[in-house]
Amino acid sequence: MSEKIYSWLLWLYPARFRSVYGQEALQLFRDRVRDEQGFFPRLRLWLDLLWDLAVSLPLEYRRAQRALVTASVPQALDGTPSFSFLPDNSPRATALLLGGVVSVLAISGCLTVLSYVINHAEAKVIQPVRFTSRSSGFASQSSPAATPGSTSPVTATPAIGKLDAAERHRVIDGAVANLKQYYPDPDLSQKMGDALRQHEINGEDDAATDEASFARLLTRQMRDVSHDMHLDLAYSPSPLPDHPPQETPERLQQYRLAMQQTNCTFEKVEILPHNIGYLMLNSFPDPAVCKSTAVAAMHRLNHVNAIIFDLRDNRGGQPEMVALIATYLFDHPVYFYNPRENTSQRSWTQSPVPGSKLGDKPVYILTSHQTMSGAEQFCYNLKMLKRATLIGETTAGAAHAGVWRRIDEHFGMGIPETKPINPFGNSDWAEVGVEPDIKVPAGDALQTAEKLAQTNLKRTR
Amino acid sequence: MPKQKLNPLPAAAFQILLSLTEEDLHGYGIMRQVAEQTRGRMRLGPGTLYSSIQSLLEEEFIQEVESPPSKERRRYYRLTPSGRKLARAEAERLADLLRLARAKKILRGQHV
Repeated sequence: MSEKIYSWLLWLYPARFRSVYGQEALQLFRDRVRDEQGFFPRLRLWLDLLWDLAVSLPLEYRRAQRALVTASVPQALDGTPSFSFLPDNSPRATALLLGGVVSVLAISGCLTVLSYVINHAEAKVIQPVRFTSRSSGFASQSSPAATPGSTSPVTATPAIGKLDAAERHRVIDGAVANLKQYYPDPDLSQKMGDALRQHEINGEDDAATDEASFARLLTRQMRDVSHDMHLDLAYSPSPLPDHPPQETPERLQQYRLAMQQTNCTFEKVEILPHNIGYLMLNSFPDPAVCKSTAVAAMHRLNHVNAIIFDLRDNRGGQPEMVALIATYLFDHPVYFYNPRENTSQRSWTQSPVPGSKLGDKPVYILTSHQTMSGAEQFCYNLKMLKRATLIGETTAGAAHAGVWRRIDEHFGMGIPETKPINPFGNSDWAEVGVEPDIKVPAGDALQTAEKLAQTNLKRTR
Repeated sequence: MPKQKLNPLPAAAFQILLSLTEEDLHGYGIMRQVAEQTRGRMRLGPGTLYSSIQSLLEEEFIQEVESPPSKERRRYYRLTPSGRKLARAEAERLADLLRLARAKKILRGQHV
């Protein structure tokens, strides 16, 4: 809740500041919330933020409006570098008004958060992966392995912040059992299990007194041994369901309706000047529902000279849709790496698409820190195949390649149960993201791509 | 409105430069380092911090670098040679002020 309030407050900053530093500011807020617990530290945090908003907002708007600081600063005569600064004029009336509005908003937010903290002892934890198979591709299964040799169900983890040695031991038991049962490399599984036990015996887990930091610690211990970035152990403050939601006709109908209302998240399909195609796609929806929309979009762009995929707000989706779109971009079948699926015939694109003229057209992809999962698979493969130029920010680094295994009501782990061939190297985008070829703030990516596409088109004519 | 060159640096910018003298840090790392080196007197909020970082980046007193391989993926910042020179010049200016203050006997004791 407090994070949401702060993310709303960030909207008060100019768009350019938000696009470049919004995520960083939010991350800094998360870090402080995580580290500054208790009533008074939290009160101090919100007072700091209130003061910070009041001071920095007018400055940022002045910067945005007048763009004074972008000019270079001449060196001082003695060779000492100098620093540019805006003069201290008295604030404008609009700045004062804005400051007033911000103060009221911030104070309300502060009071709301404080009352929430006092009443609920809010948790700062890794959010659990949701079991929406359509959105993430994760499969969730309750884990009998979590209670080896026992028929009694695992009880819920008690209140947040009271993690003791017995509970830690129980979670480690569950993790070791899951690794043993599901991890594809038995030798590594054994080594990871041994490492988890050894760290526990050595007392290295004692410092983790809250569930979230304990989950991160176990993740790190497993990765230290396996170097497998797809392996993950997470804590959810809200209870995890026993079973993943079943695919029912009602759910399918809801999904169909949502896709109809959003044009299957094909947000924009346009032809820009110089016959450059532009497709803003905000997810990779299920082809079972959205194939015709995808085909229509690609058909509309069939005669463009270059194509720009805008994936800056794309949070991923179905690998089948990723493959379907990619198929249009090649004139022969190519291997398309998918960390969720073992290598098979399905790993190759069905290229060429009869009648498609996009197989040799220049491709540009716009990325942001929010580009994730399936969208990163699209970016990663096209970059590695040297088929696209990526422009924007490094992507989120969410591979979502593990199958979700429930340990108990609050802990679970993602275990990669496939070993697909990655022809581009041992590591993919998990945790590190996909680096763009041209790094610019996400807000400037489209303009940069258009200019580049136009320049390249002129060159080839 | 003309730009005005100021000496000294804004306090926040100077503290950020000082925080980066020993290692590359991300935003939160800078905030913590500044709080530590000022004994908690200065806690940079996100707006002030990133506004100052933006100014320092634009003037190339710091630069953005890749996260160290062993660390989590974030934007890290590094002091440039001109940034180090600027920090040193500012420190010398403050030292001169301090010497003057001592000469005028407005400080007690040998150390401040």
